Amino acid sequence: MEKAKISAYQLFVLIVLFELGSALLVPIAIEAKQDAWLAILLGTAGGFFLYLVYYGLFHYYPDILPTEYMQKIVGKPFGKLLAFLYILYFMYLAARMLRVFGELLITFAYPRTPLFILNALFLVVIIYTLRKGIEVVARTGELLFVILFLLTISGFMLIVISGLIDLHNLQPVLEEGMLPAVKTVLTRTLYFPFGEAIVFTMILPYLNQSKKAKLTGVYAIGLSGLTLTLIAVLNISVLGINLTTRSQFPLLSTIQTIQIGGFLERLDVYFMLFLILGGFFKISLFFYGAVAGTANLFNFKEPSKLAYPIGIAILLVSMTISSNYAEHINEGIRLIMLPIHLPFQVIIPVLLLIIAFFKHRKKRGK
Amino acid sequence: MKRKWFLLFLILTTTSLISGCWNARELPDLALVSALGIDKNEAGKYVGTFQIINPSYVTGGLQGGGGGQGPPTTVYSSTGDNIYDVTRRLSTKSPRTLYYAHTNLLVISEDLAKKDGITNILDAFERDFEFRTTAMVVIAHRSKAEDIIKTLPPLDKVAAVNVIKTLKNTESLLGEEPTVNLQEVIHYLVSPGKEPLISGLSLKGEKKDAKKVTNAQGSSTPKARLEADGIAVIKDGKLVDWIHGKTARGTGWVLNRIKSTIVNINWEKEKAAIEYTVVRQKTKVTAHTKKGQPKISIHIHAEGDIGEVSVPVNLNDPHVLRKIEIEVEKTIKKDVHDAIHRAKENKTDTFGFGEALHRSDPKEWNKLKTDWNDVTFPKLEVDVTVEAFVRRTGLRNKSYLSELKNNR
Repeated sequence: MEKAKISAYQLFVLIVLFELGSALLVPIAIEAKQDAWLAILLGTAGGFFLYLVYYGLFHYYPDILPTEYMQKIVGKPFGKLLAFLYILYFMYLAARMLRVFGELLITFAYPRTPLFILNALFLVVIIYTLRKGIEVVARTGELLFVILFLLTISGFMLIVISGLIDLHNLQPVLEEGMLPAVKTVLTRTLYFPFGEAIVFTMILPYLNQSKKAKLTGVYAIGLSGLTLTLIAVLNISVLGINLTTRSQFPLLSTIQTIQIGGFLERLDVYFMLFLILGGFFKISLFFYGAVAGTANLFNFKEPSKLAYPIGIAILLVSMTISSNYAEHINEGIRLIMLPIHLPFQVIIPVLLLIIAFFKHRKKRGK
Repeated sequence: MKRKWFLLFLILTTTSLISGCWNARELPDLALVSALGIDKNEAGKYVGTFQIINPSYVTGGLQGGGGGQGPPTTVYSSTGDNIYDVTRRLSTKSPRTLYYAHTNLLVISEDLAKKDGITNILDAFERDFEFRTTAMVVIAHRSKAEDIIKTLPPLDKVAAVNVIKTLKNTESLLGEEPTVNLQEVIHYLVSPGKEPLISGLSLKGEKKDAKKVTNAQGSSTPKARLEADGIAVIKDGKLVDWIHGKTARGTGWVLNRIKSTIVNINWEKEKAAIEYTVVRQKTKVTAHTKKGQPKISIHIHAEGDIGEVSVPVNLNDPHVLRKIEIEVEKTIKKDVHDAIHRAKENKTDTFGFGEALHRSDPKEWNKLKTDWNDVTFPKLEVDVTVEAFVRRTGLRNKSYLSELKNNR
């Protein structure tokens, strides 16, 4: 563990930026059609539950990283294996995110630039930040959070002013009952973006007031859930469900339709800023999870030095992970949601929490 | 010290690498496309006509007096098997790369829309990241898209801007041209409960002269003019009918797209004796099912002023105004009924009644949606109620016509 402290506000900011990072850009919960907003709201409730599970684990072991307490909970050999799997999991997710952001940039802004160059440049910045440690990431977050929310609010105002919102597009509500929405939550929204907060178990021990961890996290997930719901409502009411489903990046299409007074139009730069800011934090935090975990598991004195090798690995994986964007997204939905996200985000943490609970009761009993 | 020099070297090399000029394109290498026309020739190939802005001729004399000599826009055309083919083949003629981010107008020829339909050509525009889906779509009525693109109009230097302003003007003053952009066209093409309507544009006058600079500069009455001309009704992607005048306005009422319009009413056997200008309106379309039969209710609320009278009528009298209101209501109702009747004849739901039913009764809609246009829509019961209010009568109360009548 590095010697660092972050404040409750910084944690709040990091969680919000992390949750919004990519979920703002790509279509989420779109399987629930015009009830996507409802699926996201329900997903937020699930997000609270998952966060409380992660918090529970932190509560039992407030001073050590998950890679360490896993060994205490399930024994050394098995705990080490589990910790190693989590490191791979974080690395894989960082690589996936990096690929998504590279693809996004190419599709709408840099059609002739090779993917490798974009990914490498993006990663160089992230490696630099991570070498400076979690405190720097957190402070950057504080700064950029304000910008991101000013952008969100002004973007929202622009869309409202330009009169694009047609709430009819949200009707009929619950066309096929609650089932599609609930199904979407259980198979998609719960894991992406809410369950991904598992990476914050690697960051919670740095919190300077561990008492505040619970409320901060719940507030942050609540705020991100509401923002995502609002964005889903906007996208669907502006574009209609049909176009939203067909868009690779619905928010981009929504922003492109803004036309005010014949001069306020083509505000693609909004999307670009969301993309870069959100992507930066999403990748950084997964990456940080992998670096901190590796350093802890293999007893590295200087975790910051691990940023280079792990960064290169992430870069290479991001390049070879799939041959095109459609394949990448398909993998993200078919291969990852239930077989990988479900155990790593829900099953293992819940089991760990149960075991930890009984262990602690036994201790107290003695 | 060594470290310092090394850092300086590093900074210099990285600045050249990360300055973001991977495929930078300079303005002199770009041809800004302002409008794009699509035709199909006899051989079955697509013909694209590109109106390209000539920046040095667009700027006015105030900015140094450099401009003004040649035509402000120039036109290129090329043929190909599909839209992308057409645009890329233009490179054999154009010295500059075409740049679509400023394309505001897409003109499709009537022939193409009638025979092949518009469904096959729109994907390229929606997919491309440069092209904007906010570009307005129009159909060339009684002319080729090429002719429309080539016309040099007298008032606005860039022809595409001229067309867009004309159509927007017609929409906001007359209420007869509900303009649509590419995104809306695709939305309605796909939606089973609503068919698209696309504004028509025609070239009136002598086609030969349309592309000459003299058309825009030579005389006060240009020999060729572009005119907003009817609305194209699209069914299953193909043009099936043109609607004009009152029918078009009736459609505008149902679609809630009237910003302002005129309603001429008859008064004591005088035709079009009183003119009522609509200032604001609101139309609500609701659907409900009764005993398995869908029913549509349209409620129109209009407020407006008296614009002109050509009969002696006492506008001081609230009872007279009430009578005028009733006449206005009747007239609007008739226009709306005519428009609905026409749409039913075409078997094309251009009003979005299907979507309204979908919103109110999704189960019933799922049963009906497969043959909505052909079976259910033509038999649909539609109930129209109109509420019109005369709010003001302009600067005069009684017309001078009343005085004339008294003197006689």
